[in-house]
This record gives sequence, structure tokens and C-alpha cells, in this order.
Amino acid sequence: MDVMRAFRQARTLIVVTVRYLLGTRRVIPTALLASAPVVIALAFAVARIPTYDILVFQSLMVPLFLQVVLIFVTLVNATTLVREEIEDNTLPYLMTRPISKPAIAVYKYVGYLVAVLVLLVPPVVLAYAVTEGHSGDPMTADLDVLGALLLTTVLGSVAYGALFLFLSVLVRKPLAVGLLIGFVWESVVSSFPGDVPKISIIHYLKSIIKDLVAVGPLTNYTSDISTGIAVAVLVGFSIAMLVLALFQFQQMEFRQKA
Amino acid sequence: MSDVVETIGVSKWYGEVLGLNTFTASFGPGITGLVGPNGAGKSTLFKLLIGQLRADQGALTMLGENPWNNVPLKRRLGYCPEHNQLYGWLTGQQFVETLLRLDGMPTTQAARSAKDALEIVGLSNVRHRPTRTYSRGMRQRAKLAQALAHDPEILILDEPLSGADPLARVHILRTITEFARNGGHVLMSTHVLYEIERITNNIVLIHNGKAIATGDIHAIRALIDEHPHAVRLVTPRPRDLAQALAGMEHIVSFEFPALDTLLVRTRKPDSFYKELPKIVVDHGLEVHGLESPDDSLEAVFRYLVG
Repeated sequence: MDVMRAFRQARTLIVVTVRYLLGTRRVIPTALLASAPVVIALAFAVARIPTYDILVFQSLMVPLFLQVVLIFVTLVNATTLVREEIEDNTLPYLMTRPISKPAIAVYKYVGYLVAVLVLLVPPVVLAYAVTEGHSGDPMTADLDVLGALLLTTVLGSVAYGALFLFLSVLVRKPLAVGLLIGFVWESVVSSFPGDVPKISIIHYLKSIIKDLVAVGPLTNYTSDISTGIAVAVLVGFSIAMLVLALFQFQQMEFRQKA
Repeated sequence: MSDVVETIGVSKWYGEVLGLNTFTASFGPGITGLVGPNGAGKSTLFKLLIGQLRADQGALTMLGENPWNNVPLKRRLGYCPEHNQLYGWLTGQQFVETLLRLDGMPTTQAARSAKDALEIVGLSNVRHRPTRTYSRGMRQRAKLAQALAHDPEILILDEPLSGADPLARVHILRTITEFARNGGHVLMSTHVLYEIERITNNIVLIHNGKAIATGDIHAIRALIDEHPHAVRLVTPRPRDLAQALAGMEHIVSFEFPALDTLLVRTRKPDSFYKELPKIVVDHGLEVHGLESPDDSLEAVFRYLVG
């Protein structure tokens, strides 16, 4: 019976979280941004740009999708999971249910993952399809590119989400701190010499693309990390961030805003 | 410890501010009112009881258990927060039903229980409206519905009547009374004494984080009645009015703070208000304004704390 109860609680909180992140007006800006790759690909196709091909597609996707869209969408959604409940004074409703604080955070995180993947995956697939269609290539022609982008989208969502969730239980203004990390640190870290770039999520995402894609803008990216290692690091990092977030959340007191 | 709620020497700091100051009180079965002015520590105590805060000092139990991170205890507890925030994008039905499902209730049962709870609080005809469209009174009732929908043993209600319209007040008080009549325990906070007087005789007075009086409300009111009650009268002839009122045996003193003002101190405010109109009319006097600086709970507490 306890397993059934836990399953019901998990399903309820996951569904409610997904509905909130995707079913309210707050989804509009993130959905519009997530659709940017599709819009751009369609624009090139409609304008019949002859040089638009899978290489140009990759040149767009890495800076635009990975380093802007992915980070923004995960930041906005992950930081609201707990912090918004605290700021909106709705957390007491959850905390007075027979469900532990770590479980609340985990179920909301799963709901976040479902929601952001719904936002991010279809545009990647659609933009790829438009690109291949425009250049007259079959959909299976560059599956390594599609596979690499999908894998980095999933892993990026997991890793950034865990990081931003931890930030949201650690600091009162997680959005500001997240913006600094996501759009400043993650942007400039690749320029640092030595092993410094390894202290970033984007380095491992780029390493995966470099390793999986035969020819692309990241072919000469400075990294000797294989896909396997990158996946393991990102998964391990995400687990560590989640554990820290759950521990912090468990110990937190909530004074409630006046 | 055997009372529903027991607190012994509980203190809670917010930085340098003391929210509760060696608070010691017991709350027995039935309905107990926690009465105190704003900032007295009522909400702090409730947050400690629901496990949202942890006491810095002292011991606190609810239904015999420490509430901090106590998941099983939450099943026995229903909480109605002071703030009026709900999940505005959910309907009333969805709001209560979702929280019931978070209790682990199966979907069908949760839907039925949510419907029943909303009917009890008088929100049946609006249960399919988003809660962001609810009036303040409706929000209060929706909060109460989610607190009692899962049939808890104890209800903790933080200012449940605050901002409620008269109809909502009737529904809320009726619901609370019925819950207690069916064996439930209620701990309800308010800063308005007459609100709690209507449904219980058991109160705890809290001021500056301390319990300053507990017990039967009539005994506490008798304590208050020992201290003269001030009434300010605006009249063009204050000295004539004072002379006319001097015959009342319960009058303690007169003061003339302004040319058109008479300040009366009386031991029996009810008798004073009852007799005043006849005296004014019989002596052909005029009273243009009347107010009691003592009508606020703060004045009561000033008397009790000295």
C-alpha cells in the first residue's frame, strides 16, 4: 500500500508540475524561444538559400540552441520548481501533505524534465527535418547530427535542471545567479586554457557533439573527452546536484512572506 | 505530555527578532482559540506545529509527536494558512482534489471527497471556476476545504476569518463547529476576540511571543473587566455631560483632553453604553462622536501585561 501511495503522489505532483509549466501562460516565452531553430530553418528554406545545409544547421544549433535556448528554458523552468512555491506562499499546501520534502523536490524535478523535453525536442527534430528536406537529403542522411543534438538536449536538460534546482533552494535569487552561470560562465569558459573548461556543462555537451558528428563546426573543438566519459560526468554531476538540493531542502525552514 | 498540543519554553528567533519567547501552553481537545494582536507570534507557533519551522529552544509536540520532518503526522493534520494564495490556475475542485491525491488517495475517491468538502464550505456552485477568480471569502473557504477534506484529527487554522465576507464567516464558523462536534480538534488563531467567543470558551492569549493567559474566556474577560474601560465622547458641553454621568456607580474617572471631549473610564462598559442614550436625552445634551480606544485587543493586552 505504501508503494501505491508513493506512486499516486509521484504521478500527481509530476502531472501537476507538467501542467503548470506547459499549460499556463508562462510557457509562451519559453515555447517561442524553443521554436527559434524551426523558425530560422523554415526562413532559410522559404527564402531558398542554396547554401543552407546540415553544416550551416549545426553552426546555428550549437551557439543558438545549446548555448541560449537550452540554458534559458532550463533556467526559467527549474528555478521555479521550489522557489516560486516559496515566494507565492503555496509551499505550505505541499508541506502539510504526508510526503517528504525530498520527494516533493524529486517529483517536481521529474515533472520539469518532462515539460522541458516536450518544449525542446520537437523543435530540434523539426528543424533537422526542414534542413534535410530543403537540401534534398533523406531524413536518415545525417542521423549522427540529429542523435548528437538530441542526446545533448536531454543531458543538458538533466544537468542544467539539477544545477538550477540546487541554486533555487540555496539562494533567494536563483534566476540572477543562474543567468550569470548560464550566460556568462558557460559562454566564456571555453576560452580559458588548460582544464578550466571542464568546470562547465557546455564543455561536455560540445565534446559529445564533436565525438559523434563526423563533420561539423565542432570537429576541431579542443577536447579529448569521449561520449561515454561526457555522459558519465554529466549524469554524475546531475546526481550530485540533486542530492545536494534534496539535502538542503530537507533542512530548510520557511518563514513565509508577509 | 497528553494534551493535543503541548509547548514548553518554546523560543524561535528570526535573526535578532524573537518570534516566540519561552512560550508555554497546552491546548486541549475541542476548539481552542489563540488570540493575540498582529505580530504576537500566532503564525510562528502554527508554523512550528506544521513543521515549517523548527524551534530554537524548548519542546513542542502535536498529538504526542514532534512535528519537524514528521511525514506520518501530516496525515492527521489539516492546515489553513493565513495567506490567501491558492494555485490560481486550478479550479476549486482541482485544487482540493490534487491535494487529496497528494495524500495518496485514489483518484475517484479524491474527486468525491473534494466535492463533499467544497459542499460543506458552501463552494459547490463555483468549484469548477479557477481559484484566481474567487473572492477573498471564497478563498478562505477553499483553504478550509483542503484542510478538512482528508478527515484529519486536528485542524490548525491561521486567521480563517480574516477578510471573509459575512456569508463566508457563517459557513466557516459552522464548519469548524461541526468538525469539533464530530470529535475533531481545532486550533484557531485570531486577533479579534469576539470571533472566537462565538464558538469556544477555551482561549490562549499570546502577546510578544509569550502566553499571557490561558483558560476559560469568561475568566479572562473578568480579568479584563477589573481594569477600567475608556470611552471618548465628543460633545460641546463636556463638563455638563460629566455631571450627568456622575451618578453611574461604575464610573471610575473623567478627563477633559480637549474643549469638546470627555474621556470616561468605566468598569462596566456594557452598562455604560446601555444607559448613556437615556441620560443624554433626559439632560438635553448632545453627543457628536463616541469611540472606545479600548476596543482593540492591543488595549486588552496592555492591561494584562501592564
